[in-house]
Amino acid sequence: MSFALRAVREATPPLRVAQSSVRYARKDAGPDPRVEHIRRALYPGNIRNKETPIGSWRPNVGGRLQRAIPSVQAHETIERAWFLHQRHVRKRREAELERKHRFMVRAMEVLHELDPKLYKQANQEEDPRVRRPEEIELAKTLKAPEKRALESRIRGLFPRELRVPTDTPPRSGWNYDWKPPFPRV
Amino acid sequence: MWSRNALACCSKQSRAACAQLRSRTLATVTDAAGPSSAPTSTPKASPSRSSKASIQAAVVLNRSPIITRTPNPLERAYYAYQSRIQRALFNPFPDEFYFRPGSILEGQFNAEEKQREKLAFGGPSVKEKPIQTLVDSDDQVGKQQQQPMPRIHEADIKGDVRSLDRQMERNLYLLVHGKDSAGKDVWRFPQGGVEEGQALHQAAERDLYAECGEDMDTWVVSRKPIGVMEPSSASASSPQAYVFFYKAHILAGQATPNGKTVKDLAWLTKEEIESRVDQQYWASVKDMLSDS
Repeated sequence: MSFALRAVREATPPLRVAQSSVRYARKDAGPDPRVEHIRRALYPGNIRNKETPIGSWRPNVGGRLQRAIPSVQAHETIERAWFLHQRHVRKRREAELERKHRFMVRAMEVLHELDPKLYKQANQEEDPRVRRPEEIELAKTLKAPEKRALESRIRGLFPRELRVPTDTPPRSGWNYDWKPPFPRV
Repeated sequence: MWSRNALACCSKQSRAACAQLRSRTLATVTDAAGPSSAPTSTPKASPSRSSKASIQAAVVLNRSPIITRTPNPLERAYYAYQSRIQRALFNPFPDEFYFRPGSILEGQFNAEEKQREKLAFGGPSVKEKPIQTLVDSDDQVGKQQQQPMPRIHEADIKGDVRSLDRQMERNLYLLVHGKDSAGKDVWRFPQGGVEEGQALHQAAERDLYAECGEDMDTWVVSRKPIGVMEPSSASASSPQAYVFFYKAHILAGQATPNGKTVKDLAWLTKEEIESRVDQQYWASVKDMLSDS
């Protein structure tokens, strides 16, 4: 290694990273220590030689880490096992998607052979801005909240009601009592 | 300067190398999984262009998972390990900033913290935080934390296949008990014919509402079909019906049988569908469904 690099590597990190004057500006706190707490929370100290009240730097990290992990080799083995597991999960997911895609491509091929007009219709791109004449006619007969419901469902874009899975289910459960707000077009 | 041929050669080589690399990758679960994931080796004969070929549209109505997948033991162990490391390394919590010294909330927080440390590190190696004895009676105790809902619904325990709250981790598909094109009573996906001048996806949606009622908030994902069931060449009936399947999601509501073509409904996972459906139908349909 070159001398310059070695010098950079062996240099000890500075004990004081930067001077922050607000940290040390001690107006009299008086009987109320809350102002002092707020200042310390907002402007943590940079001196790295003791445990500060708000703990911007932990000196006993080495000891705590030794208690947390069994050894360097064990940690690396665990990480490798995790990445291998993630790889398995990913490959399974990709294989499933690829199988579905192949089936879809086959369906489109069959449709092309059977009915070119339907095939062409299936391949048309949806323009989310376009409104069909039946929808415009229907919108004229609807009240305001129903019109909003009609306009919120945009063709070609996924609906807002598609729920993201959570760790626990919703309290109300599944909505079995849904009724269409407007007659279907 | 690069000639176009040289560039094409380079990209082809890298592509070939990539393909080779992909085939020589680490052993994966899918290699060991077996025939279910292997590509089908059936000969892909083009369908006969008989004018009698009728087209039907069907809908695979899917209820997406409501809750996240349950982590397996490896994942649970890894998450516990990582949270222990994070607990070792994170900055100590500034509780003088967040809690009044000696308040009930602070005592509660300290007790919970001790519990969490013990859980993570498993031992009396926790640095005791000094809890002041004076207690402020005007402090409000924190609002009772509501317990989250359980991940298993009573429909799971009862095995009620008509319920949409069953098997919340899995994808559920709507299966319908009714007459198929041959007139037999079978379990199948909702299906129907295509009218003139109508696009396939619109026909599919209309057939779904005709068979299962209108009280469902559904969304058909795409104009393109996700699969096709080709009629077997050995079938006795002469009209050859090609069934094109469309994927839809149910967002709210419940399906109701119309009583005429459809007598019963069930919301089933992929394995349960396999047990209820004919062998030939299953072979055509299984590649569209999600394993999880």
